[in-house]
This record gives sequence, C-alpha cells and structure tokens, in this order.
Amino acid sequence: MTSTNWIKLEIPSDTRNVAFARTAVALFASQLDWTLDELEDIKVAVSEAVSNSVIHGYGLQEGLVKIGASYTGPELRIVIEDFGRGIADIEQAQEVGFTSIPEERMGLGFTFMHEYMDEVLVASQVDTGTTITMIKRVRDLES
Amino acid sequence: MQYHFQLEGQSLIATLRGELDLHTSPRFKEELTRLFETHSNVTHLIMDVKGLSFVDSSGLGVILGRYRELQERGGRLFFVQANPQVKRILQMSGFQKIAEFSNSTSDVLERI
Repeated sequence: MTSTNWIKLEIPSDTRNVAFARTAVALFASQLDWTLDELEDIKVAVSEAVSNSVIHGYGLQEGLVKIGASYTGPELRIVIEDFGRGIADIEQAQEVGFTSIPEERMGLGFTFMHEYMDEVLVASQVDTGTTITMIKRVRDLES
Repeated sequence: MQYHFQLEGQSLIATLRGELDLHTSPRFKEELTRLFETHSNVTHLIMDVKGLSFVDSSGLGVILGRYRELQERGGRLFFVQANPQVKRILQMSGFQKIAEFSNSTSDVLERI
C-alpha cells in the first residue's frame, strides 16, 4: 500500500460545518498511527482554523472554505483556505490572548494550533483571504 | 450538544453532553447568561463535563465569560469529571489557575 493519500473538501462557512470538518479530517488522519490524544489535537487545530475562517474570514457571512489534508509517510499536512477579509497583522493575530472580538473570544485559536501541531504557517492578504497550513508528524515510538 | 441546568442553593450545576464549539456555544451562552441574570443569588458554577466529548476556544470563551461574572459575585468555578482530553485543553488554557477540578458534584456541593 502506498504511504501517500489525500482528501479535499469544500464547505460553506456555516458554523454547523466546523464539527463536520474536524471530524472528517480526524477520520482521514486516523489512517496514520496516532495516539488518542494526538487525534484530539488534530481535531482541535482543525476546529480552530475553520472557526477562524467562519468568524474572522467571513464575519459569519456566506463564504467558501477549502480544506485539504494529505500525508506522505508519517507527515500529515492540513491546509485550510478562505477567501475572506484576510489578516492585516499576522504576527499580532498569533499572539496568545489576542482577539479582534475581546468580548466573545479568548484569543487562543492560534495558540491551540501551534500547541497541538508541529508546524503552523499562516499566509494572508487583506481582502483576498487566508491560508493556514498545519503539519504534524507521527512520533516514532521505537526511537 | 445537550445540556441541562439545576439550581442547588447558591450553585448552578450545568451538565453538558456532546461538543461545545462555534456552532453550539452561542445557545449555551445565552441560556447560561439568562440564568445568571434571573438568579442573582447564584454564586458558584459547577460544570459537569463528564459527557463533554469536545471543546475548543469558542466553548472555553463562553465559560471564561461566565467566570468573570462569578468573580464579581465572589463565587467559584468547578469542573466535574472532565475526560483527559477536555482536562488537557482546560489546563492549557489556564483554567487550572481559576477553577477547581473534582470527581463528583456532591463532593463539590459539600466543599462549598
């Protein structure tokens, strides 16, 4: 069996689809050998990234969220893309506790993504959209 | 996501079942806020999270918002029977500094 596989999903930015997205990606990711905690980490990271697109990218308005997940060997790569407002200051957006909606949000979305994934890359352009790429590698228990 | 509330003296017990995220948290927040408003004697919030299978920052934001209210009332926040994954995200978000963790609601009620 080949050690490469991928999925692509396109969903409207509806809050109901956040659970679908994290569950679908976790189900795909489970083809690799994760611990239960690690699978939960992936679910949280996807939930945060998709929630960001829905709330911040599209301001809870209609929009398209593209989700890609793939792996090559032990490396899982997840890409969440929206075509919304974009992020003006990417560094500030990733600071612990920073949020543009302080009365409702904790500002921990990016913190969880960074904590639960091995790498998080954010590319964004104002009024064009945001792409979050997250990588997580299966730990080699033998080493 | 299912939840129900129970008033026990000055404590509000919220029992959650399912997933608390961007979609499910607004209604939960609304209900919780309404109960806080209509029951000004409520001082403590006991979150029975045994049946909570998933929570992310959207759900945690709602709980933190109510904690601020509890603080103003001089109350305490408790989590009962958090599963290991939920406990981990709560701890990572700093809830272990502001909340107490317990294995049973009756223990908490005795302690208050």
